[in-house]
Amino acid sequence: MDNIAGTKSTLTWVTNISVVILVALWVFPTLGLFVSSFRTTDQISTSGWWKSLFPSEQTVTLRTAAPDTQVQDGPLFVIEGALLEDGQDATIRSWGISSRAVDAFVPGEVAELRKGGTISVMANGRYRMEHSAAFTGSRGQRVFLGTTVAPEFTLNNYRNILFDPDNIEGMSQAFFSTLTVTIPATIIPILVAAFAAYALAWMEFPGRALLVAAIVALLVVPLQLALIPLLKLHLGIGIGKGYLGVWMAHTGFSLPLAIYLLRNYMVGLPRDIIENARVDGATEYQIFTRIILPLSFPALASFAIFQFLWTWNDLLVAKVFLVDATGETTVMTQKLVELLGTRGGNWEILATSAFVSIAVPLAVFFTLQRYLVRGLLAGSVK
Amino acid sequence: MKTSILSGAAALAVMSGPVLAEDLTVFGPWLGPDQLNVEAVLEGFEAATGHTVSYVGSDSFEQQIRIDAEAGSAPNIAIFPQPGLAAELAKGGFLTPLADGTGDWISENYAAGQSWVDLGTFAGPDGAKDLFGFFYKVDVKSLVWYLPENFEDAGYEVPTTMEELKALTDQIVADGETPWCIGLGSGGATGWPATDWVEDLMLRTQSPADYDAWVSNGLKFNDPKVVAAIEEFGAFARNEDYVAGGAGAVATTDFRDSPKGMFDAPPQCYMHRQASFIPSFFPEGTIVGEDADFFYFPAYADKDLGTPVLGAGTVWAITKENQAAHDLIAYFQDPASHEIWMARQGFLTPHKGVDASKFSDPTLRKMNEILLGATTFRFDASDLMPGGVGAGAFWTGMVDYAGGKPAQQVADEIQASWDALK
Repeated sequence: MDNIAGTKSTLTWVTNISVVILVALWVFPTLGLFVSSFRTTDQISTSGWWKSLFPSEQTVTLRTAAPDTQVQDGPLFVIEGALLEDGQDATIRSWGISSRAVDAFVPGEVAELRKGGTISVMANGRYRMEHSAAFTGSRGQRVFLGTTVAPEFTLNNYRNILFDPDNIEGMSQAFFSTLTVTIPATIIPILVAAFAAYALAWMEFPGRALLVAAIVALLVVPLQLALIPLLKLHLGIGIGKGYLGVWMAHTGFSLPLAIYLLRNYMVGLPRDIIENARVDGATEYQIFTRIILPLSFPALASFAIFQFLWTWNDLLVAKVFLVDATGETTVMTQKLVELLGTRGGNWEILATSAFVSIAVPLAVFFTLQRYLVRGLLAGSVK
Repeated sequence: MKTSILSGAAALAVMSGPVLAEDLTVFGPWLGPDQLNVEAVLEGFEAATGHTVSYVGSDSFEQQIRIDAEAGSAPNIAIFPQPGLAAELAKGGFLTPLADGTGDWISENYAAGQSWVDLGTFAGPDGAKDLFGFFYKVDVKSLVWYLPENFEDAGYEVPTTMEELKALTDQIVADGETPWCIGLGSGGATGWPATDWVEDLMLRTQSPADYDAWVSNGLKFNDPKVVAAIEEFGAFARNEDYVAGGAGAVATTDFRDSPKGMFDAPPQCYMHRQASFIPSFFPEGTIVGEDADFFYFPAYADKDLGTPVLGAGTVWAITKENQAAHDLIAYFQDPASHEIWMARQGFLTPHKGVDASKFSDPTLRKMNEILLGATTFRFDASDLMPGGVGAGAFWTGMVDYAGGKPAQQVADEIQASWDALK
């Protein structure tokens, strides 16, 4: 950047501002998702996640104990109890018994019940219902409380997804089968693409430019186009649905991008090193393994991150080529979708599973990040 | 009668012991709690016959069954939520006709039996009609949900005719409240709740024959009768005072969130018209029948159309033939197979031979009574129309209509898209 020294400060500003905007664009939804993953369905549907961080004023609908808990106190039938659970951090501002007037009374006042009798609610949530005749019906009286509630979070969503006894076995099985899909589906394309990229970058043969153009052209073909023909081919040659099929599909779909990326990187390596090696009598294979591969490590690693993330998060390819009707094979994404239920809409599960499935890719990213830097250094120090 | 005895005997023979145990793969749209329910039924089948069954569910069933059928990796049994899709696969030659005598059994043992046979009969690849689909598990759609205690607080009565329902709607507005919660949002399927409204109102304003003609496009979509039904829906959904959040919020509110307005304090709305499955989206801990209840979406008293009921159901078809697949269809002729799911949740059945006391809660029994007491039962029209209309133009058209487009223009556009498919 030294050659544009005069514009440096403005450019830095522009860079800094765009970085801040980009980071905010990413962090806000992620933070929202993260907060939502600790909230219940009802909380999510009634208020935004940004409100959950502060005490909120809300009207809650609660119910007294049922009439079968009433006791006789002299001439009166009495039902007593607490509306708020012990230890619940809430202050009662107002209360009511009709949905038409939910804040009709302040704590301590006495209200007439429609079916006869009275009810009073105290500021601590204790209530007392009195009637000269026995209370009837199967359910308690509905009471609306206007309360100020402290922020409340729950770990239940994570418990449901990870440790629910109904699906804990299925979940861990899905975790390992996702690894079984993802690891080979990351390694195979890198291996193949590295060889191809070297050949396309440094070996002279007729039609090389055309081949590169063809690969670039393949980048624009949507993979959905190939799903049915490819599955037919797999079934026809006897692979069927299974791990081999899904590895091959992932490999095929990712090769154009992998070759294109790696070739562009390898073309940029210094010509002198490679020609020196040729003069010294190294074979093409030796040049590839001893010189090109170590120097291309950053590109290999960054493509590995790409490919790993995409196969880890993939649902479509796995569904078409792996998940068959026997239900023996499954992947994490499929398992998480199953938790959503037939008609979806369980936001708390969506939010939580996003964080469950993000955990491994994050770990991979940070591990490879270290190698990325080391790879860069290894190239320069020698 | 004779055939029914024979098929009954065949079912008994199946029950009495496995001739040859086979693997059976079943693929359907149910996930989560519904998946546990269907697996319980399939376990009952395993216990009765000795076959081994595995069930896989998918939220993109409609797309995936196509891929699997085309590629030749289909499961033995597929559970279609829409008969229209099953009909398309039958036409492509991917379905196997059910065993002889199944049709006779259905028409004798299901309420409104012949209509279930007709709904499961599709044209094969050679154009010959055959029974391909067996209905098991149905939904009733003509329901209005409400909170009894809110009605009590305000002194409202449950309406028994459409006139009373409209009077109640106006009454609630006059009291300064909002009567309805309507939400059409549903991701890629946004608009479908409105198609149910229109179908229900079609059944309440026109004869069943007209409804059938509409489904087959004998009665054009832009016919004044259909446009009138769309405008009936508009009378509810496009009236600013009638809908929570105003008419503009109808198309953008998610159908899963929309009933929650009834449970707010103070309530945002008092009524919600939706099918029998909706309680799964009520707030946690809601007890149906006590906290929330439903009434039959009433018919006009001054139109002599009886008590029509709109419904939907899942149709089971054989996508890869083996003996176990036929045995499963035979197993569904045994009332016990229906009673397993009845004892769980969200299951209604047109089977006349089941023991109604097996229902897990009284509300399901009440719904099943609505189903069995229908003078006219009609299947969800949008599920029967060609996919491009019933799961396409009709949905988007309704969203446009809720957004303010004139009914006639919307109907013309839907008819045009139907013509384009022919």
